[in-house]
Parts: sequence; structure tokens; C-alpha cells
Amino acid sequence: MGTGELAALGPIQQPPRTSVGLFGWLRKNLFSGWFNGLVTLGVGAALYTVGRSLLVWVFSEANWKVVSSNLEILTWGRYPRDQVWRLAVSLAAIIVLALASWWARRGQRRSRRLILFAWLLSPLGLAVLLRGLILPTPLTVSNHLGYYLFRPELLSLLGVEWRGQVAVLLVGIFGGLGWGAASTRWRVAIGSAGFALLGLLAPYGLLQREFAPGILLPNLVTIVPLLAGAWALGRAVFRSLANAVAIPRLLLPSWLLLLPTLIVLLTNFDVGVERVAPAAILPIVEPAIWSGILLTVVLAAVSILASFPIGVLLALGRRSSLPVVKGFCVLLIEVIRGVPLITILFMAQVMLPLFLPTELTLDRVLRAMAGMTLFTAAYLAEIVRGGLQAIHRQQYEAARALGLNEVLVTGLVVLPQALRTVIPPIMGQFVSIFKDTTLVTIVGLLDLLAVAQSVIKQREFLGLVREVYLFSALIYFVISFTMSRASRRIEGRQGIERLANLAAE
Amino acid sequence: MTEPIIQCTDVHKWFDHFHALRGVDMEVEKGQVVVIFGPSGSGKSTFIRTLNRLEEHQQGTIIVDGIELTNDVRNIAAIRSEIGMVFQSFNLFPHLTVLQNVTLAPIWVRKWPKDKADEVARQLLERVGIPEQADKHPAQLSGGQQQRVAIARALAMQPKIMLFDEPTSALDPEMINEVLLVMTGLARSGITMLVITHEMGFARAVADRMFFFDEGVVVESGSPSDIFDHPKEERTKLFLSQILSH
Repeated sequence: MGTGELAALGPIQQPPRTSVGLFGWLRKNLFSGWFNGLVTLGVGAALYTVGRSLLVWVFSEANWKVVSSNLEILTWGRYPRDQVWRLAVSLAAIIVLALASWWARRGQRRSRRLILFAWLLSPLGLAVLLRGLILPTPLTVSNHLGYYLFRPELLSLLGVEWRGQVAVLLVGIFGGLGWGAASTRWRVAIGSAGFALLGLLAPYGLLQREFAPGILLPNLVTIVPLLAGAWALGRAVFRSLANAVAIPRLLLPSWLLLLPTLIVLLTNFDVGVERVAPAAILPIVEPAIWSGILLTVVLAAVSILASFPIGVLLALGRRSSLPVVKGFCVLLIEVIRGVPLITILFMAQVMLPLFLPTELTLDRVLRAMAGMTLFTAAYLAEIVRGGLQAIHRQQYEAARALGLNEVLVTGLVVLPQALRTVIPPIMGQFVSIFKDTTLVTIVGLLDLLAVAQSVIKQREFLGLVREVYLFSALIYFVISFTMSRASRRIEGRQGIERLANLAAE
Repeated sequence: MTEPIIQCTDVHKWFDHFHALRGVDMEVEKGQVVVIFGPSGSGKSTFIRTLNRLEEHQQGTIIVDGIELTNDVRNIAAIRSEIGMVFQSFNLFPHLTVLQNVTLAPIWVRKWPKDKADEVARQLLERVGIPEQADKHPAQLSGGQQQRVAIARALAMQPKIMLFDEPTSALDPEMINEVLLVMTGLARSGITMLVITHEMGFARAVADRMFFFDEGVVVESGSPSDIFDHPKEERTKLFLSQILSH
């Protein structure tokens, strides 16, 4: 259509004006008829009565001293006073990260990637800050590894006198294997020789036996042929297997396992623990004494962050074509969703230790986190499944036809769309689990509400119940409300609504 | 005569008990443009979807570019990256921009660096006539524009074969031509094309061979002049008279 034809239709007209100032708005929205006016007046009167008495109480009758003098207890509970700076640093770190990502949202890809990386590492950093850090020595690490590889029972079967010889044997075999496979043979040779020497001397040095040079010579007489024989064996094994197995690829992991093996053989577990004191970087503050707002926020944050990937995986697993995966996911989701959160919290306290190895003990807070994470993950899985169902089969087909494999189809095409459609219910679930943290009181943890209840019982503030409860309600509300506002923003930026709006433009 | 790039022998396909393909044979040489037509439910769409394994055939052999289609995942991946496909309903990815739609597969499957993929994508968008829409989302484009993006997206993988599954039948009439124009240009570029369409003007202009499908078999095949001017089978005549009458 040319412009001449358009002109024939007459000038383009503006839509008629509709807004007519404050009074116009009032009349249109609040007093458009006698009924609407009556409702407006009635609701206004009710709001005034309730609001007035509340405000009068808040500003003139309430004794806020109970809150202000207990602010520290309510906020971080029994966290050691001299370590509270760690909480401040954590909070500051989160704020800095958030500001940085806001600032870099339109920036270069590299800086965005850097910030994403920082976010991914942040849970670890925060955990270290909050809980503390004791740096294990390399020997403790390999001792622990060796412990799980061998267990003391197994090791005690092997007499102390023979451990050195076994070590030499292992070094010889792996040296021989490495010689055939490694590109730099000298490194293998020197490394093996070093280990062999260690094996030779260690039984005397490390097992606290008297070292006498006189023992060395007869020992050498047995050990040198042993080493040579083992070496030859390693070479022979390499030659016979070289074509069948990718030995070079297996070599590095096996050497990595060899090191703790040797240390365990030669030290009987005790070197790292007894002789080298671990370096305490930050004193440990056990999660068991975390309490107040700190505990509430940490519990919610951990269950939200940890449940999201688990929930997505469960949702994908539930749609898997592999019956075992699917069955496992369905069972987990349905069992968890069929049980109240309180029950899950009790189960996590009582049952979880059954499933874990006896050496690994989780404290009560971690167990509660695990329970809440699983609970949220099961609900998220169903929400995400709903989102996945909204994605049309043709999207899968288009992605497959382009040559994307199933992982890429899911990760690049299906999940991004599915998650966008379910942002609102996901955020709702997150707000709900934040409020449900109050239930941990029942398994003996001191979250904000539990601390509030203990504050009420203080003798000097006896009877000031309303103030404390109102304060905790306010805290819960502020955080929940912030979360739902954030949710609205994310929806606005990422959600399908935006795509629909784009289409309407 | 050159080696056929697509070779199908006795291809069968069942949906539960419904026998959708009942022994389809087809050979397509490199660079040929093949038009497939036939009534709805005749299996023509199912057939070209078996070529890139969107549907699994249950009997017979399909060899594409020397690779036989089996359940071997590597073969399927190899064949899918050799074959571009354009769908009736465009199937663009709504959460990505036009440019991202086009660069997705080259970056993740061909492992091209982003700069190269972007450059190739912009050239392709230029070629299909919508370079200025690169940063919009699919929902902001008209149907014809979306279908041209879909063509660019398929071409970005530099396929040897392009499959078109009724590319213009979901379009408003005034947009059909812009898409057919792009396809005609493509046909002249020497790429192998299999097109399901009822745009008989397009078929007559660019097709090297035509296949008439009915009830899961190839009823008749030949050059456009064979099909249009001297159809042998009664069913072909009847169908052509129905779609050419209006």
C-alpha cells in the first residue's frame, strides 16, 4: 500500500484522552456509583479502626526495649561475638557480588563469565566463612584417602615387617607399567626410584623402629631383586595389555592412588594426624550453634540453592526413558511429597545417619538442611515437570533435526523455555520453604522464631510478647516480600510474558 | 550417473497398527530437487522424517550420503548434521533471538567459535533477505520472516541435503511468495532438496523429479512434465485435478 492511498483514509488520529486528574481517578475508581462509594467508605472505616489502634500501640504503648536489647541474639544467636565479623564479611561479599552482576549485565562476556564463576564459587566461600576453616596437611588428606581405601582391619592382616616390601613391589610394578607408557621415561624412573628408596627406609624411620645402617645392607639384598622383578612384571603386563587397554590413560589415576597407598602402608595412618598440627585459618563455629535470623536465612538459602538443581534433575529423570531412572525419581518424588515436612525433618534427624558411613557424622543443622532440600526438590521437580510438559514436541524435533544431541536439546532448548514458564510457582515454592524454616524448632534448632520464644521468657521483659512476635513477623515479611518482588522482576526480564509482550509490539 | 545421495529401499513404518509407510523406494542424486506431494495422511511427511530419524523406520534400508540409518547414535548424529530441515510451523526457538537461533547448532554441534558463527549467520540472514531482524525474537516476526529464519537456521549447519515439510502451508497468502523465492534461489544453488509442497507452480519451475504419495506408497514418479502433462495413474490424475482446479 503506497502513502498516497493511506492519505486517502484521512489523518492518523490520536486515541481519545481518558485520564482527568486525581478527582477524575477517584470518581472513576472509588465512587463510580452508590454501591462502589459505600464499599469504599466501609473498607476505609475498617482500615482506619484497625490501623489506628495498631499504630497507637506501636508508637506509644509498646516497649521496644525487649527487641533492641536482644537484637544481637535474635540476629545471630550464639555465634561467637568475636567472630561476628565473618557474618558481616559474608553479607558484604553477597552485596558486592550482586552489585557487580547488576553492573556487568550489559558488559563484556568475559566479565560476565567471571562474575558467574564467582557466584558458583560463593557457596563454598560462604560456607568456609560461616563454619570456619582448618587447612588439612597433604599428609592428612592422603591418610584419609588411604583409610577409606584400606581400612585398618585390612592393613593389620599384613605384618609390619612386610609393608616396606609390599610398597617396593607396588612401586616396581607401576614403574614398569609407566616405563612402557610414559613419554618421559626418566621422570618415571626417578619417581619410582624415589618411592622405592622411601619404601626401603620407611619401615625403619616411620614406624619408630631403631634405624641402624647395619640393617640397610641385608635389606637391600632382598629389596633390589624384588624391585627388579616387580619392574619386569610391570613391563610384561604392559606389553601383553598395551593393545587391549588404554594404559597411559589409566596411569595417572593409578599413580594418584598409589601415593596414599604407599603412605598408608608405610605410616600406619598416624603421620599426618599426630606429627603435623593442622593449620587453623578460621576457628570452627559448629553449625549446631548457629541460631536466630542467621540460621533461618542460611537454612532457607541452602535448601533453595541445593534443591534447584536436584529438582530439575528429578524432573528430567521422571521423564527418562530408562525405567530404573524413571522409577527411582518417581518413587523419591512421590514418597517425599506424600509426607509432611515435619516428618521429613524428624526422619532426616533420625534416619539419615543410617544411610551414611559411620565415620561421617552430620550435625543437626546439616541434617535439617538435607531434609528441607529434599522436600523442596521434590516439589520443584513437579513444578519443573509441568514446565517441561508445556514445551511442544516440535521444539524437540527442531533441535534434534539440527544435530543437537539429547543433552544439548534439553539444556539449550527445552529447559530454558520450561523454566521460564514456571518462574512464578518456583519462586512461590522458595518463599514457602523460607517460611517453613520455622518448623526446625521441632527438631531442636534455634531459628528466629525459637530465639524469639526464648527472648519472651527473659525475666526482665516478662509479658512483652507482642513486641517480639511482631518483630519476627516483620522480619519474615520483609524477606518474603523481597523474594516475591525479586520474583516479579525475574519474570519481567526472563519470563514468557516478556516474549508475549514482544510479540504484541 | 552419479552415486545417489539418498537411497531408500522398501521402507516400512507402523504407528501402532496403522501401516503408514508400505514399502517406499526412492533414490535421489546429489543436487536434485525433489518435490513430494499427495493427499494428507499419505505418509509423505512421515517418509521425509524417517530420513533424519525424527521417525524410526521399522523395515527396509535408508542410506544417506553413504551412511546407513540404524539405531547407532553416532550415525544418527552424523546424518542429522548433514540434513537441514524446515518445518510447516517454523519451530523457531522462542527464547532465543533470530541470530541465536541460527548460530545455536554451529556453535554447539560444529564447535565453531562464536565470531565465525555470527558472521556466517549474518550472511545467511542476508541471503534470505532479513539481515535487519537479527536481534529480534521470533515472536516479533511475521510468519514468512520466521520461515526464512528457519531456512537460514537449517542452512547454518552447511547441510548437503535440505528437507522441507510443507514450508508454506501455514503462511498467509501474501507471505508464501517470499518463502518460495528463497527456496527457488536455494534450488538453483545446487543443494539437494526434498520438498513436500502443493505449490505446483514452484514444482514445475524447479523440480527435477516429482513423487506422488498415496496410502504409504509412491504411486507415481517422474519429471514435472511427465507428472503434469502425461500422468499415468488414475489417482495422480484425480489428485492433480483437485488441487489444480482452484
